[in-house]
Amino acid sequence: MSDPALGLTMLCLIVVVIMMGFPTAFTLMGLGMFFGYIAFYQPHQFFTDNKVFDLMVQRAYGAMTNDVLISIPLFVLMGYVMERGALVDKMFYSIQLAFRRVPASLAVATLIVCTFWGIASGLVGAVVVLMGVIAFNPMLRAGYDVKLASGVITAGGTLGILIPPSVMIIVYAAVAGQSVVKLYAAAMFPGFFLSFLYLIYIIGWAMINPKIAPTLPEALTRVPVPDWMRSFTAAYSRNVFVSLMSALLSPSRARAIKAATGPLGYPRLLGNLCIALVPTFLIVGTLAVTWWYVVIHQQATVEATVTGVQQLGIQLGPRAATLAEQGPPEGFYLWFGIACAFGAFILGRSFWRMDADRFEVLKLLTSSVMPLGILTVVVLAVILFGITTATESAGVGAAGAFLLAFQARTLDWKRTKEAVFLTAKTTAMVCWLFVGSALFSGVFAILGGQALVEQWVLSLNMTPVQFMILSQAIIFVLGWPLEWTEIIVIFVPIFLPLLKHFNIDPILWGTLVFVNLQAAFLSPPVAMSAFYLKGVSPPHVTLNQIFNGMMPYMLVIIICMVIMYLWPGMTLWLPNYLYGI
Amino acid sequence: MHGQSVLHTIDAISTWFGKAAAWLIIALMSVVCIEVIKRYLLNAPTAWIFDFDNMLYGTLFMLCGAYTLAQNAHVRGDFLYSSMRPRTQAGLDLVLYIVFFVPGIAALIYSGYVFAMESWSIGEHSTVTAEGPPVYQFKAMIPVAGVLVMLQGFAEIVRCVVCLRTGEWPSRLHDVAEIDVVEEQLAHSEYVDEEARKIAIERAKEIDEVARQRGMGGDLNT
Repeated sequence: MSDPALGLTMLCLIVVVIMMGFPTAFTLMGLGMFFGYIAFYQPHQFFTDNKVFDLMVQRAYGAMTNDVLISIPLFVLMGYVMERGALVDKMFYSIQLAFRRVPASLAVATLIVCTFWGIASGLVGAVVVLMGVIAFNPMLRAGYDVKLASGVITAGGTLGILIPPSVMIIVYAAVAGQSVVKLYAAAMFPGFFLSFLYLIYIIGWAMINPKIAPTLPEALTRVPVPDWMRSFTAAYSRNVFVSLMSALLSPSRARAIKAATGPLGYPRLLGNLCIALVPTFLIVGTLAVTWWYVVIHQQATVEATVTGVQQLGIQLGPRAATLAEQGPPEGFYLWFGIACAFGAFILGRSFWRMDADRFEVLKLLTSSVMPLGILTVVVLAVILFGITTATESAGVGAAGAFLLAFQARTLDWKRTKEAVFLTAKTTAMVCWLFVGSALFSGVFAILGGQALVEQWVLSLNMTPVQFMILSQAIIFVLGWPLEWTEIIVIFVPIFLPLLKHFNIDPILWGTLVFVNLQAAFLSPPVAMSAFYLKGVSPPHVTLNQIFNGMMPYMLVIIICMVIMYLWPGMTLWLPNYLYGI
Repeated sequence: MHGQSVLHTIDAISTWFGKAAAWLIIALMSVVCIEVIKRYLLNAPTAWIFDFDNMLYGTLFMLCGAYTLAQNAHVRGDFLYSSMRPRTQAGLDLVLYIVFFVPGIAALIYSGYVFAMESWSIGEHSTVTAEGPPVYQFKAMIPVAGVLVMLQGFAEIVRCVVCLRTGEWPSRLHDVAEIDVVEEQLAHSEYVDEEARKIAIERAKEIDEVARQRGMGGDLNT
């Protein structure tokens, strides 16, 4: 048998053997060893001198010193700590209250919690089970359509593997030799865009056909306003913000109120005022950071590159400035002004209408969603603005998750231990898989299998669109029986060298693969999330209803992929703006 | 049973090493954070930190390989596998452990030993930066991890044989699993009704198993 034929045999065998259910890392290792032994075989050599043994060790050492994979344990640790530290049911409750006037409010709250949760962790099963208990039964009791309710939980639960910081993106970056930060920036908009499309779909459907999501009964939407707050607003003004301000000036009436938790002194009034000001801080903070990054930060770097002494080893000649470094883009000031005006309008409206109910909702949101939100925003911003490397942001993020969990008093010794051990297992799983696949792909390339596949694809004379559709379709089908780890580590590398020929950006292609896998994980009858949901749902909900509920979301994902392909700017603008082309 | 105690002893060895190495992640996190403070706030970066981070990470995942195997946590293409009878599973696993697993890990031990020995004998230092830290102890992790994984693989082979004879998989040591988060979240929840909560906590493990088999092993297809 010729060498390339051996390579192809290897590729066919791997598909068969993986389906036999042996741990994939060792399957890859074994096949690599076997075919590598044949490839390196020399008749006069003693069998232990075969070079494949050295290749195995070199590849293992390569994985041990891989500077991309090193951020995996840190991000995984951050996810495990956050998922043990944050309180999902509190989050769900407060978000549901905040959206109580929106059509299908429970479904909307579910989706938002799933999106947030997706930022924190990438586990499909646990999210679906949790949301199944917390949200599915209330939705069914409120008379929601079974299909709507089950679809939103299963689709929301799989979002976690897409939204950064996700481990899948790091693994793809390591496989494709792309920068992690660029891929994070690229996956940012499509991830939230997909979640936004889901949202439009839910609200739109509920508005067209209100029967599928009846308005909730009064008892479920009543905000629990404490008694002191009622007497407090009665004493001053209906508007909580006005009352707080005037109480700070003349506290005598506030002191007279008997609150169950103690007297109303200055500290408590100030604390409540801070909560009332949280939206202001958030909006002003976001605008200020944007201004700082686009206008001030860039000028500093431009000057530094001009006046700095040329160091040895730096590429000589002028380096093309990234878009971000070329100063504020045209129209930035106009758009920034519009954003400021809009922010001011929102704030004014919220202060104007801040009655006791709204204030309580704000308080609940601040205590349940904000810590997680701030941590993720900080971690993502630090990565995206290129302030630190991905590894360093991951380390800081993990430490931040610990701090948050300690502050919320949800983390004890037992949970810390669990998070550490789970991190170790997940890291070992991914990285050993990487060792195996490194050996496998090395041997595959030596045998010439890769070249044969390339020649074959090129001989088909496909257009880039055809190639795109073919590659995505293959990955979609592979997503049915396999996990994302296997697809990214084994099958994606086969396509990667071909992208250049078709002039497809590996970042765009990779992001499409991430979105594609979402659809694969939602496709009946193999979608695991459906079975997780079935496990916690009441007996009258059938598996077929859950599958039917997932179908529309698959369509939404395909629409999302088409939009991403037709309009690559959505994916590529942010990475290109931040890091240059 | 005698075989069972041997299995659990080997499991315990792998788990002990794995759990000990797992704490390196806390060390890695602290080192990275300290370096961030030093580099960005104090403007005093450390040259050898890049190598050091890599060593912590590499040691972590290599030494946890056996622990992960002992917990059956290496990813499997379990789509068909999980719906097979235990005897069929054990038969397949037994053959594949001998054909695939043993040669690869043997290479890690044998060639890894030569690789580490050569590095050790010249007292090799990292070349990422000038005067990098020593790397021979890091390279020695390859044969060490190989021995641990091989030992655990031996236990897995014994498991397959036991399963082939009795038709049932021998037990594993109990350890934390991903699905446990359901219990932790629901145990303190205030807004979920008592009954649904209890049922979910009790059944979490079972749900996880059935979902992994895509309903094929259970009676969910109703």
